[in-house]
This record gives sequence, structure tokens and C-alpha cells, in this order.
Amino acid sequence: MIRISEVYKYRGHECVINGVNLVIPQGTQVGLIGPGGAGKSLLMKICAGLVRPDSGSVLIDGTEVVGIGDVEMTSVRSKIGMLFQNYALFDFMTVEENIGFPLRQLGGRTEEEIRDEVNRLLLAVDLPNTQKLFPNELSGGMKKRVTFARAVIANPPILFYDDPTAGLDPVTSGKIFALLEERRERGGTTSIVVSHDILGMRDICDSFVLMDHGRIVFSGTREEIEASTRPFVGQFWRGEADD
Amino acid sequence: MTKHTQAYVAALSPTQRRIAQLGVIFVPIVTQVTEILRVGSLAFYYAFKKPIRWREVVQQSFFIGNRSLAFVMIVLGFLGMILIFQSGFQAKRIVGDLQGMGALYLQLLFREFAPTVTALMLATRVGTGIAAEIGSMVVTEQVDALRMNNAEPIQYLVVPRLLASIVMTFVLSCVALCVAFGTGMFVANTVFEVNVATFYNTSLLEWGDLIIFSLKALAYGITIPIIASQAGLSAFGGSEGVGTATTMAVVNASLAVTILDFVLSGVGYIFFFS
Repeated sequence: MIRISEVYKYRGHECVINGVNLVIPQGTQVGLIGPGGAGKSLLMKICAGLVRPDSGSVLIDGTEVVGIGDVEMTSVRSKIGMLFQNYALFDFMTVEENIGFPLRQLGGRTEEEIRDEVNRLLLAVDLPNTQKLFPNELSGGMKKRVTFARAVIANPPILFYDDPTAGLDPVTSGKIFALLEERRERGGTTSIVVSHDILGMRDICDSFVLMDHGRIVFSGTREEIEASTRPFVGQFWRGEADD
Repeated sequence: MTKHTQAYVAALSPTQRRIAQLGVIFVPIVTQVTEILRVGSLAFYYAFKKPIRWREVVQQSFFIGNRSLAFVMIVLGFLGMILIFQSGFQAKRIVGDLQGMGALYLQLLFREFAPTVTALMLATRVGTGIAAEIGSMVVTEQVDALRMNNAEPIQYLVVPRLLASIVMTFVLSCVALCVAFGTGMFVANTVFEVNVATFYNTSLLEWGDLIIFSLKALAYGITIPIIASQAGLSAFGGSEGVGTATTMAVVNASLAVTILDFVLSGVGYIFFFS
């Protein structure tokens, strides 16, 4: 379970995360949506311990993430897999080395076991025979699938997907969402999906959190968000332009 | 300046405002120096902690050493010729005797020019490379990805560059010394007709010169990658952030080399030459 309580983050005098409170129950997939600059990716990075908030608390499976030391953070991060918005593939490593990196860091497996697991995942994301390629030899969609494979290879109980379909064509976006849905159906994983792609997200998330200007302005299931009478919520959900 | 800051500044007394202006200048400098020291101390901590990525150390040694070799040799080669050409004419006019020129030149190369000019060349060539590489890894979230996989970026990225730089700065300084002395000898022989055997004179060299040469090469070899890495790690935003980090790396590394040169020359004077 992820519990975010009274989190504030300032950039200069601007409050970019403004008193966020949120509970994500174990085993659920939450869609974090909102206009650009709403603070979605920043909130996710705060949850991952990559950005320290100015105040507030973030509990990951009961462990406080804010203000803890490197050793405690190591055990928290070993529970988290993260798909980054900008791919974040190590450009000095091959596809095989990139995907196997989390397993090598965790230790306890032979090189052969890691290679087998990488090959299995490459087949699952429909990228066979790409083991020896470097990230600069891959298309955007291929990179996203490789970064997805790297995020899930260690079977972490918590997954953060930061804009998994950013800059991708609709067909490739569909493939990525299918991978996320497949992962959700396996159960047991608590995940947050940050995306602008409302259409793609509708069927793969258990609930949705709408953010604007660093605040949570709505939180609920798909049915609740569709039934909302608040103009901003309805407008954003349906993707309508301002009048 | 935001409205909040403007209101705050307006409420200050003239003395407080002057102190605040000093703070505007000094706080960023102190912050940056503190950050450089933090990166440096962590790099040393991890340099003695396993695992060390030796393959990356070799690759970085190639990048710092082999790829800078021609650049350093050309610059120091020409510098050697210019130094002897200019000083030869002056010496001929004032002293009239060029017999001791080789011995003095060799001492000057050991104490000053070979390690310091090499380091300044490396600050531009290697410093920019390290800052741009690490900076682009920061803005493309690769450094965050390392952290998420419990790989400490300083251990993973800075330590191999630090180890490679320590070795290669020393090696390149030695090469630079030989090249600058060789080209200087060539000019002395062809322009001023100084005999090669006369020019090659080690009588003024002392152990202190060798120690200062090694100390300077070691200090520069440590300083350049740490300053450049800190600049890269502090990059933010997009390509503009990487550009700023690269510029910061060159300026800070060149400044640090110059200040270290002054300090170490002083140390050398106190301990060996006074």
C-alpha cells in the first residue's frame, strides 16, 4: 500500500505539490491524470524517493520514504519498478544488459538465469533478437517496451509508469497499454500510471486521480469520474477544449 | 524576482540590503564548493569500495588518455617552441649567454608548464566530455534509473572517471614534458645554435621538482573529473541544462587548476626551494 499524507513541494515560491493526500490500496492500479505541469510526474518521483518533498509523509508498504537514509531507501527501492518518461535506458549498455540490470543489482542469480529471464521478457514484449542492440538503434516504441521489461523483470510489488505512451503512435500506445493491462491481470502489483492518454487508460486502471496545479481535484473510479458534474473533471475526462 | 521577494527586499534596511547583496554573490559559490567537496568525498569513499567497474576505468582511460594525446602533444609542442624562441631572444639580448637555457627550461617544465598546461588542456577537453556525458544522463533520467536500481551514481559514473583521470593526467604530463622539451631543444638548436648536449642539462633538477610535478599531476587528475562530474550531476532541464553544466565544468575546472597551481607552487617553495 502507498499512503501519501500532506505532501508539499515548492519551487522557489511556487507550490508545485500542494498538500496532497492519497491512499493507494495493495494490488490496485491507479491512473494519475491531469494537464501538463499539474505535478503528476513530480508526485511519482516523490513516492519513489527521487525527489524530497518540503513537508509531508510517503509510506511505501509501511516504510517512510521521506528523509530516510540510503540503506533504508535501498530496501524500499528494491520493491519498486519504474518506467521513465524519457526511457532512461543506459546508452552505454545493450538491450540485454539494460533489462538484466535490476537483477544483477539485486544479486543472487547466475548470468545464465538472468539471460534466460531477459530472453523470456523480450519475447513477451515482442522484441526478439534485439539483445545485442544499443538504445540508439531502437525506435521510440521499442525503447518503451525495453524500459517496461527492465521495470518488471525483478517482479517488484510496486510499479510506477511515468507517461508510458508519451510520443508514441496509437498502435504502439495500444501495445504498451496491453502490456500494462496484462501485468495488472496477473494481480498482486500496486501501480501508478501517469499519462495524458485518457482513452488508453480508461480500461486498465481500477481508479483515477485527477491533479491540477499540484492539488488532487478528483479521486474515484471510472464510473464516478464519468458521473462527476464538476465542469473541469468532465472536460478533462472527455478531452474537450475550453470554450 | 517574485513579488514576495521584492516585498521582502523592500523591507530591509540599507545595511541588511548590502549583506543580502553579498549573500547573492557568495551563497551560490559556497553551495557549489560544498557540493564539489561532497561529490569528491563520496567518490573517494566509493573508490575504496567494491565493486569497481574496471572495464569502464579502461574505457575512460582510453577516452582521457589516448584521445587527448594528440591535442596535448600539439599544444605543448608549439608552446615549447614559442617559450624557447621568445626567452632565447630576451636572454641573448640581456645576458648574451644561452648555455644555461636548457637547464632552466627543464626545471620550469617540471615545476610549472608540463603538469599545469596539460591540466588546462584536459579541463577543456575531458572536463567538457565528462560534464556533457553525465549531464545528458541526468536530463534523460538515466541517473534516476540508476538510483531506482540501487546503483549509486557516484560509484557508477564518477569513480571510473576519477581513477582513469588520476593515471592519465600523470602519463600525459610526462608525455607533454618530453614533447615540450624536445621541441624547445629543436628551436634552441636551429635558431640559437645551442648544442643538443648543452641544452640537455639536468643539473638544476632536484627531487623537489619531481615531487611537485607528481603532486600537481595528481591534484589536477583528481580535481578535473570531480568538478566536471559535479557540474554534470547538477544539470537540469534539457539540452540547455547540459550546455550550462558543460560551461560550468570548464570554468570551474580551469579556475581550480590555476588556484591549485598557485597553492602547490607555494607549498613547493616552502618545503623544497626556499
